[in-house]
Amino acid sequence: MGKTGFIFNIQRGSVYDGPGFRTVVFFKGCHLRCRWCHNPESWNMKPELELNAEKCIGCGDCFRNCPQKAHGMDETGAHIIDRSLCTGCGICAQGCCTRAITMVGEAVTAEYVERAILADKAYGTLSGGGVTFSGGECMLQIDFLSELLHFSKLNGLHTAVDTCGDLPWSAFERILGDTDLFLYDIKAADQEVHRALTGVSNERLLQNLKKLHELGKKVIIRVPYIPGGNDGEVDGIGRILSQYPDYPVELLGYHRMGEGKYRSLSLSGVEFTPPDEDELRRVLNKLVSYGLNATCTSVKEGK
Amino acid sequence: MNTEMVKLSELTRKRIQNLHDTKIRINSDKIKHLGNLDIDDHGFIHFPDFKFDPKVEDESGILYGMVPIGKTFRRLLNEMPRYIHPDSALATCWVGPFPAKLGYGPKDQPTHLQGVIDEYHILQSGNQGMNHLCPDMRIGLELGWGGILKKIRHYREELKPADTSFFDGEEEFVLGIQEWVADYVRYAREMAEKETDEIRRANLLEIADMNEWLVENPPRTLREACQFLAHFQCVDRTYVAGGAMGPLDEYLRPYYERDTEKGILTDEQAVWYIASLFFNDTHYAQIGGLIPDGSRDVTSRMSFIILDAMHVLHIPANVALSVNDKMNEELFERALQYTLEDGSGVCYSLSNGNMRYTQNGYTIEQARMRVKSGCNWTAIPGYEYPLQDVTRCNMAVALTHALDDLKGDEELDLEKLFKRFFDHLKIMLDCIKEGYDWHYEHISDNMPEIVLNLFMHGPIERGLNVAQGGVDIRSCCIDGIALATVADSFGALEERVINEKRLSWKEVAQALEADFDPDRYEKTRLMLKNIRRLGDPDSPSLKWAKRIRDAFVGYARIPTPKHHLKIIPGMFSHGDVVMYGKVTPATPNGRRAGTPISHSNEPDDGFAIGLNTFSPTLKANTVAELQPGLGNSSPLHLDIDMALIEHNGGINALKALIRVHNEMGGTLINLNCLNKDTLLAAHENPDAYPDLVVRVTGYSAFFASLSKEYRQQVVDRFLQ
Repeated sequence: MGKTGFIFNIQRGSVYDGPGFRTVVFFKGCHLRCRWCHNPESWNMKPELELNAEKCIGCGDCFRNCPQKAHGMDETGAHIIDRSLCTGCGICAQGCCTRAITMVGEAVTAEYVERAILADKAYGTLSGGGVTFSGGECMLQIDFLSELLHFSKLNGLHTAVDTCGDLPWSAFERILGDTDLFLYDIKAADQEVHRALTGVSNERLLQNLKKLHELGKKVIIRVPYIPGGNDGEVDGIGRILSQYPDYPVELLGYHRMGEGKYRSLSLSGVEFTPPDEDELRRVLNKLVSYGLNATCTSVKEGK
Repeated sequence: MNTEMVKLSELTRKRIQNLHDTKIRINSDKIKHLGNLDIDDHGFIHFPDFKFDPKVEDESGILYGMVPIGKTFRRLLNEMPRYIHPDSALATCWVGPFPAKLGYGPKDQPTHLQGVIDEYHILQSGNQGMNHLCPDMRIGLELGWGGILKKIRHYREELKPADTSFFDGEEEFVLGIQEWVADYVRYAREMAEKETDEIRRANLLEIADMNEWLVENPPRTLREACQFLAHFQCVDRTYVAGGAMGPLDEYLRPYYERDTEKGILTDEQAVWYIASLFFNDTHYAQIGGLIPDGSRDVTSRMSFIILDAMHVLHIPANVALSVNDKMNEELFERALQYTLEDGSGVCYSLSNGNMRYTQNGYTIEQARMRVKSGCNWTAIPGYEYPLQDVTRCNMAVALTHALDDLKGDEELDLEKLFKRFFDHLKIMLDCIKEGYDWHYEHISDNMPEIVLNLFMHGPIERGLNVAQGGVDIRSCCIDGIALATVADSFGALEERVINEKRLSWKEVAQALEADFDPDRYEKTRLMLKNIRRLGDPDSPSLKWAKRIRDAFVGYARIPTPKHHLKIIPGMFSHGDVVMYGKVTPATPNGRRAGTPISHSNEPDDGFAIGLNTFSPTLKANTVAELQPGLGNSSPLHLDIDMALIEHNGGINALKALIRVHNEMGGTLINLNCLNKDTLLAAHENPDAYPDLVVRVTGYSAFFASLSKEYRQQVVDRFLQ
């Protein structure tokens, strides 16, 4: 009997998370709270309600069906959910005819995910792609992850793990043999800045990166750039990464595509200003000046 | 083989740019005078002052019979306006559809079928289906118009048929062509006299000389071959909108090789000739493809030149690239590169699915000989009469009849509903088959293939119209459409009424009767619509779709009742989902009456929800799994966001997508790479984007030419 895990999305045919066409499995649950996170639905491990108020026709089924009476209206007549009452049972979502209320995330078996991976295996094989486990933080569900990685390798797929890196080394040891590539985030150089921006120190993740390097594991570094967030960290990040000049570095500019998700989850997010191409080019050049093989797809000559 | 992009001089670039700009202007004029065009962006030029009186003698007003058509066609060719673009390497144009009502004469009207046709809204029954066969243009290129005329006269003399009207009509038609070509000699010389630009004057004189030779003789050079094809395109389109040309690179390769060996042709000139041919019309052509024994792909330098011409001219063109296991990788990558740069380009005809033609009793060698020559269809040039893409069996209408039968039932019995659905489907299919028998018996006397007979192996030699014994390989296709509409209807009823019991059958029946009246049944409609629909891996609709596909294919392929004509079922809706939607009542997939039905065998847009978000692969896998599987194409439409492709390994990702669809048994991919902002802005204000070319389904068109409903199809696919 396979294991069960919590995921919130299977994205087939992705070209964003590693080489070639990839099936990306997004795990639910993350212990970091990056202030710019564009996947807030990935924070909690358990399934939760998402409300898209624009789709609601006010039929009232959810009011009647909810055992906790968590659905209500605010003074403007807009549909709201009292998250303190909601247990995430999903009865309202199941009954919502317009899909205004949906459950984000499901508990699924390893077999379910494996079927999806196999269905698209040929695309990965022909394009130099494969499967990527992302999140959330996929390594928080290490049993589930290791089973899926092992299955993928047995079936000849290229495997990638997208991680923040802030996990016990013992978790890495569980998956090293079945992971071809790590996508590894470096968000700040200074420990305290990192803590302020994400909720955790970067001490452990830097140690783990060093060990991965010593073991000769393939890693692609991803550096998010958030003006007003980690913009003072570029030099520090460049210095740290200069120890690993063989690791490609992808610079990712902040974007606001996650804004709607905060609203639908009744969360308030912090807004930053997306960098323009010129600003990203300056940051990219700075990273390159540290001897890094850095690229940025938002910068025309930075591809 | 030289695979480099052809380097163009300033002169050639300017000439082709002028052709492009003229085409944009011609297209704007057509939209202004004729309104939107939802079909191929045919290359005709609208001459508002040109009037032609067909002088039809029959009081029905219908022009029918080989000789009357041949004579009228000859007169039309003599009277219609001439046109030469001074920057084109070729003369000629066509001026619009044949200006007479063609069809069955009064005594041959298939009135006995009208009852079923009306009741089931069979808008394209296949009966009177014309032009959907692929000529072998090598016949004409080898003989020339003079040789074709001699051939007609020779076989009339040889066979001595009791009734010579077949040959007499063809003779009239070819004489008309020769007179028309000869008049282009005069016209080009007159233009040259008035032309002040030396280069253009020299060009016009070359055109005059070339046409003078071609009145009687076969082409000797690449340019003459292109001129011959351009004249063919004009008469083929004029007659009944014929659009098939066939393996263009293979037709032209011998001329290219001879001319370059003699030192009388550069690649740059070759690009200009082909661009001039594409300026003339959007006939369907293929590049690449296997030779009959399968041992190699035919890609040549000519294939690359055709791609370059299409890319530089950048107007709608219908060129397909054959995807097979021996294809030229560089040609594949060049085609994708141009698609990425231009937003649209070739379509991809996939050999694996097309090889299923062998399931009909044909050999693998014959399957390899089929060439992409229409919106979705393939045929053996010169040897096959396949009649694909001329029928639409709207399965959603069979379903609505079945629902009507059951509306008085207390409970919903899905098996009973399926049986009733199948009963009605059989009535539709029987009607179409009877129509095909009628077509076989009567079309030749009424509306013969006066143009394409000349380029097939058999009709002239036998004195028989191609539809009636002119060639040996003869089949009829029946295209089933609205698969997802029907499958999702069954899926929704199963989920909401049978399994969940959240809706009663009575409520659904009332909601359908009331066309989901928004005041009373909007919630019911949304519940039915928001199931996991076809395309979602967890959808209940997939098993229904397979069952519907199997029932349709199984019954449709039974030969016609009277003449036992072979039927090859397919699933292709063209862009007609709007037209058929308008006559289809409300369906239990939450679709209101009059709104579009689903495309071919594709899932509806917006199917992906929950864990399984949209991906081109998800759609591709469904389309591959639901192929009718007999060799006729059911296309996959992919509208890819440029932003996605630009990100990482774009061409490799697209190559993988196309190859895997081929391996899975897919048949055809129509690909657009679009920018979201541009597309939405062009949808809002099409006149501001006269250059935007999109692949609608099997054909490409100026986006601005399309009606709002057709533009919406492209936008919906893109936004899903």
